[in-house]
Amino acid sequence: MDKNILKEIVGEHEGGFSFANAKRNEYLTQNGGVMPNATKTGTTIVGLIYKDGVVLGADTRATAGTIVADKNCAKIHYITPNIYCCGAGTAADTEFTTNIVSSQLALHSMNSGRQAHVSTAMTLLKQYLFRYQGHVSAALVLGGVDINGPHLYTVYPHGSTDKLPFVTMGSGSLAAMAIFESRFKPNMERDEAVELVKDAIESGIFNDLGSGSNVDVCVITKDKVDYLRNYAKPNERVPKLKSYKFARGTTAIISETVRKFNSVKDEDAMEVV
Amino acid sequence: MAVQFDGGVVVGADSRTTTGSYIANRVTDKLTQIHDTIFCCRSGSAADTQALADIVQYHMQLYAVQHDEQPPVKVAASLFQELCYSNKDALMAGIIVAGVDPVYGPSVYNIPLGGSLHREEFAIGGSGSAYIYGYCDDYFKPNMNRSECVDFVKNAVSLAMLRDGSSGGVIRLAVITPDSVERIFVPGNELPKHYEG
Amino acid sequence: MSTEIQNAAKSHAGRWEPYVDNGGTSLAIAGPDFCIIASDTRQSEGYSINTRYDSKVHQITDKVLFATSGYSADGKKLAENIKIQAEKYLDKNDKIIQAPSIAQMTSIIMYQKRFFPYYVFPILAGLDGEGKGCVFSYDPVGNMERVGFQVYGSASALIQPFLDNQVGLKHQENVDKNRTLSKQEAFDLAIDSFTSATERDIYTGDYLEIYTVDSTGIHKEVRTLKFD
Repeated sequence: MDKNILKEIVGEHEGGFSFANAKRNEYLTQNGGVMPNATKTGTTIVGLIYKDGVVLGADTRATAGTIVADKNCAKIHYITPNIYCCGAGTAADTEFTTNIVSSQLALHSMNSGRQAHVSTAMTLLKQYLFRYQGHVSAALVLGGVDINGPHLYTVYPHGSTDKLPFVTMGSGSLAAMAIFESRFKPNMERDEAVELVKDAIESGIFNDLGSGSNVDVCVITKDKVDYLRNYAKPNERVPKLKSYKFARGTTAIISETVRKFNSVKDEDAMEVV
Repeated sequence: MAVQFDGGVVVGADSRTTTGSYIANRVTDKLTQIHDTIFCCRSGSAADTQALADIVQYHMQLYAVQHDEQPPVKVAASLFQELCYSNKDALMAGIIVAGVDPVYGPSVYNIPLGGSLHREEFAIGGSGSAYIYGYCDDYFKPNMNRSECVDFVKNAVSLAMLRDGSSGGVIRLAVITPDSVERIFVPGNELPKHYEG
Repeated sequence: MSTEIQNAAKSHAGRWEPYVDNGGTSLAIAGPDFCIIASDTRQSEGYSINTRYDSKVHQITDKVLFATSGYSADGKKLAENIKIQAEKYLDKNDKIIQAPSIAQMTSIIMYQKRFFPYYVFPILAGLDGEGKGCVFSYDPVGNMERVGFQVYGSASALIQPFLDNQVGLKHQENVDKNRTLSKQEAFDLAIDSFTSATERDIYTGDYLEIYTVDSTGIHKEVRTLKFD
């Protein structure tokens, strides 16, 4: 087929992004260059469909290498009033990807006067991530309830999607999936579903070093969302045994300068007319 | 894989999606409906093949509206071929397009990795296909009837699933005839029995 | 030539690694007549925990303990070798080997593997011949130093500055620099070091073994840390 004929079908623009910078960075790191290390959410995120809707779950640890960067971060992101999205991968990428799609859907809803479909959110996410060819490291669990009922998807960084009744993602996904595979059943009651999600996240928290701290849960039904921030706190810090308050005068004073300011006199004050 | 028979085509696939050694999805539907009576079987990168299928799906929908007729399978296949060929250095996609249209009847097209296009009576693809060339060449016969064809596909796919570690799960089938599509689901514990010694 | 070797190394890279970092943290504080030695018991690899209870502290004599971190298997083998030599010393001399002698011997045992080192960061601690608390620290090829306190392992960068400040009294004005810690203070400091490090280091956690060595002998205590 002539290339010009295809252009008529597919469109005029050349399309696609330049990944020259990605190639350059790869070359630099291979030759001993050091890239700034982004905060990753070595994460456990999960979702399942139950009788009346969707339950999403996430741990709250964010890591920078082997150091815990944030002990209580929120990984369940708002997309629209009826759709939420759990993010794993580079924290900034999950945050911006979900924000961009959230704003696009907000405009779309205002334009159409209709509630967003979960499939629309999924399509926007996958097309966005596919354009960046995996360089945007966002691994997502997307869940929501729309006119067609409850929906649950996973979206991978390269832009592929899966639609399943129960899903897990992140470094703790294997630990969490072990819980789901042994205990999931269709059409569960709300309490049972939330308990299963909590257990799956806790399995990630305790068995995966990339996951930790607390459990966040989000229950989405046809006409209500319950965002249960810190639904479980299985890792409270024990109090310190000693006090580490320093006596006054402990801090070294290297130099001291005292500067005297002229005091403001009455007559100097601005006149108010 | 996809196979032509006298009244239509049968497409079939396993259901395993892997990331490294982890099975990310054990009940994947790799058979994607492109139009009313056109399907594609996806293999390679899930992201690439899903993106391609979405693009072609869009153009087939547009074609049907603008021409007010069923798009020929050939057109869908050509579009896949063009996209696969012109972006071959960025894609990992092996696609089989199969379906029925009023002009050419049942047809099967194979678009392997480089982006070439081949019309075949039957086509196999993906990592498991290497294990079943012998079986398919031996057991395929032109102008099978519907149930012969379904059995042929079931047997071939299950044989591939048995030998290939990257294939497995369940078998999903679609029987496409000029005016209907029937989806068949074979659970993992009801697969055809083969030698497992 | 060097590129040839580098290319050969590259072609073998990723195939097999003789060394593994199993994480974990060990700490020792010397007092005037006692010594505190503490280690967490988490043993991990990558993002997985191999076991929540694997002791990194090994007893060499009735006064000397040996705490490791780094590659667990090497740590165990090194401790075993030191123990064998300590036993031999007892058999030959009819006398228990003293801390400074074990310290020197440990250095030699480690340097013997100069070109295929034990991937271990050891701390030898206990009471010396005069009954004073002592801490010896090493690098993986046997460089030794007698110090007042030491912390090695995955959380060392988190705990070392804390001990410098609280034990070494660094960056503190108007304090008595000759002041020494009491046994209880050192004990509590060790626990606080670990509960705090557990908060921020993913490789430190599960349980804490704390040994107190003094004239009455070796006393062991086990506390739980966090499991996440």
